[in-house]
Formats: sequence, structure tokens, C-alpha cells
Amino acid sequence: MRQPPSNTIALDAIKAWRISAILSEAIAWVITITLFVLAVIFDFSIWIPIVAAIISLLTTIIFVFILPKLRWRRWRYEVFEQEIYIQHGIFIVSRTLVPMIRVQHVDTKQGPILKKYQLASVTISTAATTHEIPALLEEDASELRDRISALARVDEDDV
Amino acid sequence: MMSDHRRLHPAAIIFNFIKTLRESLFLIIITFISFKDDYLGWYLLGVGVILILIIVFSILSWYRYTYRIEDNELRIEYGIFIRKKRYISKNRIQSIDLTAGVLHRIFKLVKVEIETASSGSGAEASLKAVSLKDGEALRNELKNVKQVDDSAGENLEEELQNEIPVISQKITVKRLFLAGTTSGSIGVIAAIAAVGFSELEQFIPDDFYDETLELIVSLSIVILIVLGIMGLLILWVLGIAGTMIKYGNFTISRNEEELLITRGLLEKKQLTIPLKRIQAIGVEESIIRQPFGYVSVFAEVAGGSIDKGEELSTVLFPIMKANEVEDFLQKFLPEFITERQELNKLPKRSKKYYLVRSVLPFIVMLAGVGFFIPQFIWIPIVLLIGSMYLGILRQKDAGYRIDDKLLTIRYRMLSKVTMVMHHKRIQSFNRKQHKLHKKEKLATIRLSIIGIMGAGKHFTLKELDEEDSNSVSSWYSYRE
Repeated sequence: MRQPPSNTIALDAIKAWRISAILSEAIAWVITITLFVLAVIFDFSIWIPIVAAIISLLTTIIFVFILPKLRWRRWRYEVFEQEIYIQHGIFIVSRTLVPMIRVQHVDTKQGPILKKYQLASVTISTAATTHEIPALLEEDASELRDRISALARVDEDDV
Repeated sequence: MMSDHRRLHPAAIIFNFIKTLRESLFLIIITFISFKDDYLGWYLLGVGVILILIIVFSILSWYRYTYRIEDNELRIEYGIFIRKKRYISKNRIQSIDLTAGVLHRIFKLVKVEIETASSGSGAEASLKAVSLKDGEALRNELKNVKQVDDSAGENLEEELQNEIPVISQKITVKRLFLAGTTSGSIGVIAAIAAVGFSELEQFIPDDFYDETLELIVSLSIVILIVLGIMGLLILWVLGIAGTMIKYGNFTISRNEEELLITRGLLEKKQLTIPLKRIQAIGVEESIIRQPFGYVSVFAEVAGGSIDKGEELSTVLFPIMKANEVEDFLQKFLPEFITERQELNKLPKRSKKYYLVRSVLPFIVMLAGVGFFIPQFIWIPIVLLIGSMYLGILRQKDAGYRIDDKLLTIRYRMLSKVTMVMHHKRIQSFNRKQHKLHKKEKLATIRLSIIGIMGAGKHFTLKELDEEDSNSVSSWYSYRE
């Protein structure tokens, strides 16, 4: 736990995160524009849409341009024979240990954005928790899934 | 022999009827209120037809419900129009609980609930009413997997039971009473009473209010206070009664592989807890019981189902002196004994985080109340002081310890809880640290075990010394 895990996730994760951030920011901008239109039509204080625009601008800068990069830099994982070691979190750094013999199943997942960059995420489930490693290269993800599921096939003691 | 098709006890018809009736009662009342003036005759006719239908269905569903044991499987067939069959392999059965409600006890019946490890909310199979003798026979037979001959198996079972001294412990009436008086369910009952009253209110005639109001105004404040105290007292007594009914005759015993709990004055419940399903053992010192030195012991059991009105954790013993816990564990769960009192505490520098966390909501409240209703400012002030004290207690009580393969952690929300869990029961370990923590060499750790219904249960210890968090993580890690 003293040393962070060694592997980083795919660099394209930043782009994928940016796109999904842009999509959600688009909603904020649509609301802002609607407010401007309404302000003109119904003649209420122009400050309301201006404040909305400022908020939209700030969140866009933060979520689209700053956070993805920081997030990527922090995201690390390492798979040992006996356990999986994951680190993530920008302000609160979270490090998790999942022993192989506790792994119940492993999934790979791919949404449309991840598919565009040939990425996939790996989800590891224990009987109590689930852990996700987002945005690995497709072949890395399926290779990792197969490897974990092979390693997890240790004789299970009673649950 | 149990291989023939068996039916439940005919009393199941009554239970079916009552259950359906209870479910449709609301509808019947609602329709009564809306139709009583104009269509009373038709309404009564309708209700009559519905009642007859319910009775017919109750009888049919009893008639169509059969169970048998065949090929080491419990086979249940049921359903009136759509036949359903459920086969449960003996090997997959995790626990068999016998419950007897008040009605059951009149007919000497039990409800048999059979659970497997699957993560549904209810029991996998529930035989609503079988005679006590059949229920116990069924349980013995289902538990006995490698059995060749029925009768020989039963004899063997009896012999075994005679030979092995069964360890058991029963609650005394005095203790039970004490458990009731300190149960802390007073608040809950008060809330129920308040809600109940507001429901009742509409049935009380208006002039009753006027007269009472006049009466109350004419009374002095002293009598009002007395009335209030008496109300609280009644609630308290109700709380005692509730606890005594629920935990009356509480007996726990242990055999080779499981714990057996029997409890309940009116509704008698018999629970079996397989030892290998116990994920962690907890000792709780509630804020009311702590000054008197009493605690309760509970277990986190994997895969169990939640009945209505049951707690999330399984109570192993409702109340005992703190210094009796050692003996109790020695007797029933020697594999969970640790030096619970000698913990590694949190460093002093973590105190400010605990204080801020517990005080913050009340500071916000203070500001809000101070701004809007300044005459009530004393309420948040009192709460603020209380929360400050609680924050300090939380920091002081938290701690952990490692003994070989056992981890003990202690934390407090309101009650002080000490959990003991086995290394192999912990599903994952997590450590969190933010910038300020890092600067001060503090870290928050979280351990996850399997909780009820297949969901996880998580234990968090906040602001541990970084070195301590590292030692827990290297204890947990399988790497060298």
C-alpha cells in the first residue's frame, strides 16, 4: 500500500471522458441558452442567464479540460497473482485491495464512447463489492478479464 | 417415510384466508366508505361474494400445495391454475427456521422456512403450517444429507443428541426486563403513537376537543407536566413489553456446526445459524446501556433473508454485562476471541476531523434557527454541545487490533460497536486519503464483508495513523 500500483489505463481514456463530459455539459448550455431566450421574451433580469452562463463555463472548463487529465494521471491498477490493487481519485486518493480468492466474477463492458476509441472497462465483483477499471485498450481488457478469472479459480473455501 | 406427497396442516387454510383478507381489507374499507349511503345492499352482496371466493381460493391453494422429500431434494408443488414446482437440493439448504405465531401455537403448529444461499429477499421455501412434530422431523431429515435409512438415521440423531452435551444459555427474566428498560425503542414508539393519534383524530368528535381544551386550560401547568411524564412512562412500559415479547425465553445453544436460537413469548421463533455463514461478530454498547455496563452481542450472517421487523444483524444475545462477553464467546464462538479492550487508538491529530464532522450540521442548523426563529436558539445550542461531546467520544472510542487471522475494529455512531472478523471473511480492503490527510499522515480505511441479502456491509475507520493503515493493509494483503 506504500507504493502505488504500476499500470496506467489507456491514454485515450482522457478523450473518452472528455466526450462524455461534453455531452453532459451540453445540457447545461442548452439550459443557459433557453434562459437567455426566456429572459428576452419575458423581459426578466438578464443576470439570471448570465450567472447560468458563468456556471456553465466554469463547469465546462473543470469537467472537460482539467479533470479528465488529472483523473487519468491518478488511475492505476496492478494485478498480482494473489490480489488486485487499484488506485483512483483526484482529491481523495483511494487504494483498494481485492484478493483473487474473493473475486466472484469479472466483466468487460463497452459503451458507444469507449467503442469509438477501441476501449473497454473491466468490472470485478466480490460477494460484497464491485470495482471498475475504466477504459483499457480492448485487447488489454479482455486479456485482463481472462487472466483474473483464471487466477480467481482458486479453490473457494466456504462462503 | 417422507417420500409421499404431503399437505400442510388444514389450519393453513385459515392462515391463507386471513392473509388474503388482510391484504384486501383496505380495499373493503375504502369501498365501504364510498358506497355505504347509496348501494349498501349491493355492497354487502359484493363483499359476500368476495369472501366466498377468498375462502374457496384458500382451500384450493391448500389442496394444491404438496411437499415431499425425494432423491435428497425437497420438492414443493403448488399453484391453483399455474402449477409451480420448486426442487431444493438438500446440499444447498443453508438454514431451516421454525416459527410459531400465536395462531400456530393454538394448533401446535410451526412455520418452516428453508433458506439457500441465493440472494432473494424472502426464504426460498416457506411451509406455512405443519405440525410441530412434522416440522422437526422435516428439519432433521433435511439436515441429514448422508442418511441411508430413515429410521436408523433418526435413532442415530437421538443418540448423538444424548451424547454431546449441548451448550446453551438462557436469558433470565430480570435481564430481559433490563433489556426492555434500556432498549431505547421509546423514541420509535413515541413516533408511532404520534402517527397513530393523527390517524385517530378524525374519529374524535369535535366537541370532545372543545371540552378537553377547556379542561386543559383550567388545569395548572404542573398537572400538564405530570400528564406528559405519565405518557412517556406508558410508552416506556410498552417498550419493555415489546422487548419481553420479542426476546422472551431467549435461548442460544451450539452444536458442532451451528448456533440454535429460540426466542419469543407470543410468536416463538427458532433460528439456525450455520457457523460457517457467520461473517463477523459484534458487541454493541448502546448509549443508554453503556453507563450500566451492559452490552448486546450480534452476528453478521451471510445470505440471510429479512423478515418484517427483524434487524439487519442477528442478535446472539440481547443483553449481558460487558465482562460476561468473554465467557459467552468462549462458550459459543471461541474462534472469535480477541483482547477487545486493548486497541490501537487513533492519533490525537485526528480529533479535529471528528469534531468538525459531527458539529457541522448543527452549526448550519444554528445559523438557520438563529436567523429565522431566534427564540428557539437554545435547541441547536444544546444539540451542538451534545454533538461536540459525541465527536470527541467517537474519536476516543475508535480503534483496531490484529490478532493473527482476526481483525477487531471499534467505532461509534451513537452506540459503541466492536466488530471481530476473520481475515478470510473480508472481501476487500480500501484506503482513502485526501490532501490534508496526506500532509498529516492520516488515512481512512474501509473493510467490506458479505451482509444480508447478498449486499455488502462496510466498516469504516476514519483518520487512522498512516502507519496503522499500512499495517492493516499488509496484514490483509496476500502478497509477501
